[in-house]
Amino acid sequence: MDEYIRKLLAAAQEAGISAAEVYLVSNDRFRAMCQQGVINNYTVNSTRGLSLRGLYNGKMGYAGTEAFDDESVQQLVSSVIESATLSEDDSVQEIYPGDKVYPTVDNYQPELDAVTPEAKLNYIREAEQKLLACDSRIAAATYNMISTSSGSVRIVNSYGLDLSMRDNGCVSYINALVKEDGHSASESAISVGRVFRPEEAERTAKEAAEKALFMLGAAPVESGIYRAIFDPYAMGDMLGVFSGIFSSENAQQNMSLLAGREGEKIASDVVNLVDDPLLEGGYESRAFDDEGVACRTTNVVENGVLKTLLYNLKTARKAGVQSTGSARKAGYAAPVRVAPSNFFFKPGTKNLDELMADMGEGLVITDVGGLHAGANPMSGDFSLIAEGYTVHNGVKDKPVEQITVAGNFYELLKAIRAVGSDLVFPGGGIGSPSVDVGEIRVSGK
Amino acid sequence: MLSQETAAAVLDAALRSGGDFAEIFLEDRRNNVLSMRSNRIETVNSNRLHGAGVRVYSGLSSVYVYTNDTSLKGLLDCAARAAAAISGPDLHKAAAFAASQCPNVHIIKELPSQADARKKAEKLKAANAILKMYPEVVQGIINYTDSEQRVWIANSEGMFKNDLRVYTRFVVNAVASNGTENQTGSCTPGAMQGFELFDRTVDPEMCAHTAARTAVTMLHAPLCPSGMMPVVIDNGFGGVIFHEACGHSLEATSVAPGNSEFSGKLGQKIASDRVTAIDDGTIPNAWGSENIDDEGNEPTKLVLIENGILKNYMIDRLNSRKMGMPVTGSGRRQGYMFAPTSRMRNTYIAAGNDSETEMIATMGDGLYCRKMGGGSVDPSTGKFNFSVQEGYLVKDGRIVHPVRGASLIGRGSEILMKIDRVGRDMQMAQGMCGSLSGSVPTNVGQPMIRVSSLTVGGAK
Repeated sequence: MDEYIRKLLAAAQEAGISAAEVYLVSNDRFRAMCQQGVINNYTVNSTRGLSLRGLYNGKMGYAGTEAFDDESVQQLVSSVIESATLSEDDSVQEIYPGDKVYPTVDNYQPELDAVTPEAKLNYIREAEQKLLACDSRIAAATYNMISTSSGSVRIVNSYGLDLSMRDNGCVSYINALVKEDGHSASESAISVGRVFRPEEAERTAKEAAEKALFMLGAAPVESGIYRAIFDPYAMGDMLGVFSGIFSSENAQQNMSLLAGREGEKIASDVVNLVDDPLLEGGYESRAFDDEGVACRTTNVVENGVLKTLLYNLKTARKAGVQSTGSARKAGYAAPVRVAPSNFFFKPGTKNLDELMADMGEGLVITDVGGLHAGANPMSGDFSLIAEGYTVHNGVKDKPVEQITVAGNFYELLKAIRAVGSDLVFPGGGIGSPSVDVGEIRVSGK
Repeated sequence: MLSQETAAAVLDAALRSGGDFAEIFLEDRRNNVLSMRSNRIETVNSNRLHGAGVRVYSGLSSVYVYTNDTSLKGLLDCAARAAAAISGPDLHKAAAFAASQCPNVHIIKELPSQADARKKAEKLKAANAILKMYPEVVQGIINYTDSEQRVWIANSEGMFKNDLRVYTRFVVNAVASNGTENQTGSCTPGAMQGFELFDRTVDPEMCAHTAARTAVTMLHAPLCPSGMMPVVIDNGFGGVIFHEACGHSLEATSVAPGNSEFSGKLGQKIASDRVTAIDDGTIPNAWGSENIDDEGNEPTKLVLIENGILKNYMIDRLNSRKMGMPVTGSGRRQGYMFAPTSRMRNTYIAAGNDSETEMIATMGDGLYCRKMGGGSVDPSTGKFNFSVQEGYLVKDGRIVHPVRGASLIGRGSEILMKIDRVGRDMQMAQGMCGSLSGSVPTNVGQPMIRVSSLTVGGAK
């Protein structure tokens, strides 16, 4: 690849591109599922994708490819020029010469790459067996998957910057379908890490089974206003879908209602939100962002006050501040935007049991669904299908399903009464403990 | 480009360890995106996707290996990795390729790659100029996308086919704001067409008006009440309700393992008499159409439900083995990065005989959903959730005023039985459907329908 990159940067310079950057992603992945003892969806890949970004007459152009022949060099260069020529984005953009120091982030565990396919297949076979053995009411493992990946990101630019980062990881997921007397329920459990742990097969199977069995016979509650706690999974999903409101790019484009509100109180005193790319073992941990800027920890909300939005080079320059190292591409060929890394509510002191005891009567929401449809990141409005359980006399009571919870995320931030101690990252960079959100509108029976 | 010699060598290598079926899928695809925000063309991006995947079956097990390295060595390596996941004696040899010409029923007049990028940019600007006429619209996001996908598909049963799929789409999202609150509206037409999409099918200015009107209407709408009530869902994108709540549960992916609420129900009544539903891959130049599916099978027009009776499932090759039923041309995938599985194409509730005005006039108090947002479903239970992008409160059979923040929830099997009116004017609308084999273009569609009672989740 070194030779290809050298040729590409030379061709870009030759064609009048004043500064250029090559962004290369390589990935090897293994994925398999198991149902009724049969392995299916067995998928293995090794792929590479590359994009060229460059300044032409002061404007940024983009192009990408997965074919690495000589034809593609010319194609990339001419596409970048066409892209820059048509672009009307007159904000000042730059290819980054680099920072003096980069933090050390270790996202790569060589042992994981050595795990054999057979060991991974045994893992999902065992997960299914353990699940079915949990209880006679378990009908099936409807989704039982393991996936491992190992890859790298490399940024090379015409200023001589050459950064790279390796990363690997292992994810398993199992969904339990349970049936009894015409009722059915379906719940899942996930395991994410950089170490292959065979014992996780049994743990996730049991977790999914327990959750699903508990939900049997779940029913809607009466419509009305309820005191409510969102558990880490439900709150993590909410924070994930609304994380875009903390993007300076959305704010600068009138697409976040947090525009111009830095320094203001936007949430209750107990709310602290952190973006921490240096978090040890974090799913989204990284030493540099997608423009090559060194990453650092950012306190986004402190005691309810919005300290800063998240910035990349372009939006930071426009606002007259420093980049927070939050440049992000949705894929090798995607444009540079803004997104958080490991983004989470800083945990408080009480666990879920204590939060429930404090609440007395109400609901714990354990899952929200239909996020891409029922949550509007621009207005903050949400109306989401939800499930969970009732809390009576401060303890877990009856399972609840087929309800919707509705409200507005901006209002919810202000109404938060307590943030729990049980921080979980349910399968990505977004994390949350259980959160007491005060009152919420529920539509049910 | 895939030659017959290369394909034959790869398929032989893939079957070396006991596999009983092998297939190679090679793709070369050019995607273009032009995007306008804040009154400026912000992104112009082109990308060339290139890669191949080799699939091997051994009985009911399937292995898929893919790579960007489409040299003979890269493909043979891919085949060897697939074969390594299967163990057994080398039993089969691939059959000789039949000379199969794939008929092209989706005629393309102007390939997007031949159209000047400046002409594409003009379409964005035309829509943007309309959005600027609405004072409350503070932001417009306008995207033009096109895609030329060339595929070669060969398998050990002697199939060797290639196809070109061309897609063009125009997407307008308008954001209206009063300073404290934002509402969105959208219009997202597309077709299996080239740049001629703009000759007749799509008018950028009309799209912008449609998106802006929804956003502005919703900005002035009070919150929707919640509870059980009759619901009328308009034609076009209203069909997303059938897509999510029923269509996914009729895909072999969930039917074959018995995970669907419709498993084992062929010939049984699963919907009200008024419901006939179709999945059609043959409509010329429609967004979800095909010349061949992504396994090389010929397209079909498939009756899923006829007058309430379940007639057919959508079945791909692997699930056809599992179910002992023929394929239906439903094997689809986003690209070489996915093994194909059963997917919807152009899926709609067929036109009925009920009057649109009568069904609202006789509904009493309820909700009229003029435009649906997106939604999702758990196929094992049929539980669904949709947002309503543009809804109106109905009192005593009369549309009173718009309401915002509504969502519809329920179960697929329940809603099908509760459809008590089906209107006459069927329209389709375009979407991208995400599932196991990635994101594929699908049409949803229906005439105006009425559901006698449904849970409406509102914020009031």
